[in-house]
Amino acid sequence: MTIQFWSVLGKLPRMLPIVGTGRRWRSVVQQMFAIGASALPMSGAMALCTGFILALQSAAELRRFGALEMVVDLVAIGFTRELGPLITALSVSGRSASAISAEIGTMVVTEEIDALRVMGLDPVEFTLAPKYLAALITLPCLTVLSTFCGIFAGYLFLAFSMDISLRIYLQAVAEAVLLRDVAFMLVKSLVFATIIVHVGCLEGLRVRGGPEAVGHSTTAAVVKSTFLVIFADLLATAIFYLMGWSSVR
Amino acid sequence: MINSDIAKTDDAVISIRGVSMSYGARRVLDRVDLNVHRGEILVLLGGSGSGKSTLLKHVLGLVRPETGSITVNGVDITCCSPSELGAVRRRIGVAFQAAALFNSLSVEENVALPLRELTRLADSTIKLMVWMKLTAVGLADAGSLYPPELSGGMRKRAAVARAMALDPEILILDEPSAGLDPIVSAGLDELILFLKRSLGVTILVVTHELESAFRIADRIAMLYRGRLIAVDTKEQFAGNPNPRIRPFLDRQPDAAPGVAAEEFIASYLRG
Repeated sequence: MTIQFWSVLGKLPRMLPIVGTGRRWRSVVQQMFAIGASALPMSGAMALCTGFILALQSAAELRRFGALEMVVDLVAIGFTRELGPLITALSVSGRSASAISAEIGTMVVTEEIDALRVMGLDPVEFTLAPKYLAALITLPCLTVLSTFCGIFAGYLFLAFSMDISLRIYLQAVAEAVLLRDVAFMLVKSLVFATIIVHVGCLEGLRVRGGPEAVGHSTTAAVVKSTFLVIFADLLATAIFYLMGWSSVR
Repeated sequence: MINSDIAKTDDAVISIRGVSMSYGARRVLDRVDLNVHRGEILVLLGGSGSGKSTLLKHVLGLVRPETGSITVNGVDITCCSPSELGAVRRRIGVAFQAAALFNSLSVEENVALPLRELTRLADSTIKLMVWMKLTAVGLADAGSLYPPELSGGMRKRAAVARAMALDPEILILDEPSAGLDPIVSAGLDELILFLKRSLGVTILVVTHELESAFRIADRIAMLYRGRLIAVDTKEQFAGNPNPRIRPFLDRQPDAAPGVAAEEFIASYLRG
């Protein structure tokens, strides 16, 4: 298990430069719908729920200090830096890492990957490049949208509990969130996109034998990509913290 | 005698020399020697698990043998560089067992794929070439369909058309008639003979369908548990008295389990 895991990790850098070679824009657009657009309802709903939960949990504590308005900062910063990219990546990991590995695993079983090799086409480039490009475009967009959803959930909670207007809430959000938080969010989402697509693709390519192996690879893809996303998030956040970028003002 | 043998070896497009391969402890190929001559149809027969598909993967350079060498068009593909292997593969067309068409592409696009990716031909030229290949396999009307919409026989035909796309010198067909009804299967046999007659392609066919083998073959080779036990013209092959070949030709079960059980019970009853 660990050896497999490291071998997957070791192959990641080798495949990074292969993006969008050839004329496969049509399949990139298809993949953008499959990976991005159809994940929107799920990641949006997850972000709304999490935003509301975060507001509820923090309000209970902050109220004791008479600092209920700090909920705005907490939700805004928490979502921009952390929860927005993470929740989006987790929902995409569950949907797309499995779908990608199942698709490519099936191509292995039906000898389509062999056919590509024999035709002199690189199966990694052919199968991975359109998906990777699509993920690199759509995941940041999804992340921004679900961050908006999460922050909006914070507003819903505050509107009930302290009768705040949307305009004032948004002003408070704009004051709390710095440009570097947004940049951090986008960088994270690009890293997560890389992890999800590559793990899905590599797990699919490792399928040997019959259709039941496709099922195993699907499970492995979701487990590994979810774990790697969270681990990469930890690393990124640790770097952000050590560089002293996380102090608010 | 010796001279004619050397001449034959020179004529070989594919030359397999002492190839062995095993998965774990199981020997899949055991010192296989086989030549495929220019312009002939060689049928590789063998039961399930006899190693035919594995041998095919070796010829395509998808698997490297443990020992032995495989020469295609004079290039040893067991030890050449990836670019040399690529050059060799461009002169081989393969139709896989499961057709291996790309489901996201239409039949036309499937056939056009090698042309678009590996040549710099103009779109109009590619269109014309695709139309010619599809006409040759009898699928001229089905170009805009997608693989899931095709019947089994049409898929195999489309796979042959794609294999022919780059006008290869060697055509390799893995189980072309498996899973097809006799009429469609016979049609595919005619197609294979037509390709050989009209284009002079060297064709290697892997199958376990006897009728089809005897219809199309110039020579027949037989694999039995990883060993090549016969390579002969089809007439001589049909009369081969080898006890391992006879059951295959006469459609008899390998070791009759029913008979063995009856004998066992009878001897048990006798005490």
